[in-house]
Amino acid sequence: MVSGPIIGGPFTLISKEKQTVTERNFLGNWVLLYFGYTSSPDIGPEQVQLMARAIDILESKQNLKVLPVFVTIDPQRDTPSQLRAYLEGLTGPVAAIRQMAQEYRVYFKKVEEDGGDYLVDSSHNMYLLNPNMEDVRCFGVEYNAEQLSEAIWKELNKKPS
Amino acid sequence: MAVEVYAAAENDDKIHSDVLTKARESCYKARDAFYSCIEKQCDKKPTEIASVGLLYPKECKKSRDQFVNQCRSSWVKHFDRQYCQNKRAQQRLLDDKGSRRGPLSLPHAFKSTP
Repeated sequence: MVSGPIIGGPFTLISKEKQTVTERNFLGNWVLLYFGYTSSPDIGPEQVQLMARAIDILESKQNLKVLPVFVTIDPQRDTPSQLRAYLEGLTGPVAAIRQMAQEYRVYFKKVEEDGGDYLVDSSHNMYLLNPNMEDVRCFGVEYNAEQLSEAIWKELNKKPS
Repeated sequence: MAVEVYAAAENDDKIHSDVLTKARESCYKARDAFYSCIEKQCDKKPTEIASVGLLYPKECKKSRDQFVNQCRSSWVKHFDRQYCQNKRAQQRLLDDKGSRRGPLSLPHAFKSTP
């Protein structure tokens, strides 16, 4: 369980609409950050859709707004067009940068390079950030949408320390 | 820095559709068919070379070709590796079971008392 602020500092990213996104766009909102890449053999769009479903559940059942953000750990291949196609149906800002992953201490590296093709090995995928951009929790991929929304709801209801 | 990277990208509009849902499903289907074939033909001698040291019987050549056609080569290697790891883990479990002599007996201290 991660506690305390781990954000390194301000950042500038490009959204899938090719607009600039900075940390100021997120301040004041709860954010669910997902670090991944479109060329992952095991984790596909359905996993990211799961995140979107969890957020929909929170909004409809608890009237809570959480921003979903997909951050690619493969900015070389994951262009804004690629991300748009991959995340069709998912709303919210999407960013593509390596810098952000480093600041969040998400370990990742290219493995199995085979010509232009490669996989990216990475650590934990999902981080929940509070409105001060402090990370409060990380999640693995074993959660389903209901479990994820419940876990997020628990964090949102914790008394501030 | 990020802005420069994207401004310089020449093939920004090129989409790798082989990682989107429809193509993924075809890949997963072909993958599962190939590994099922290996399971079904487990009595045959594995003579063909897959990748990462995995061998398979020639009876599964057709499904192997389908698998390789439908999936990226990095994915094929990744799945072959996963398959081998799972096989080894299964074998270890079977080996362990063989060496057990019966139910575990716990010392009296562990028995709960109201």
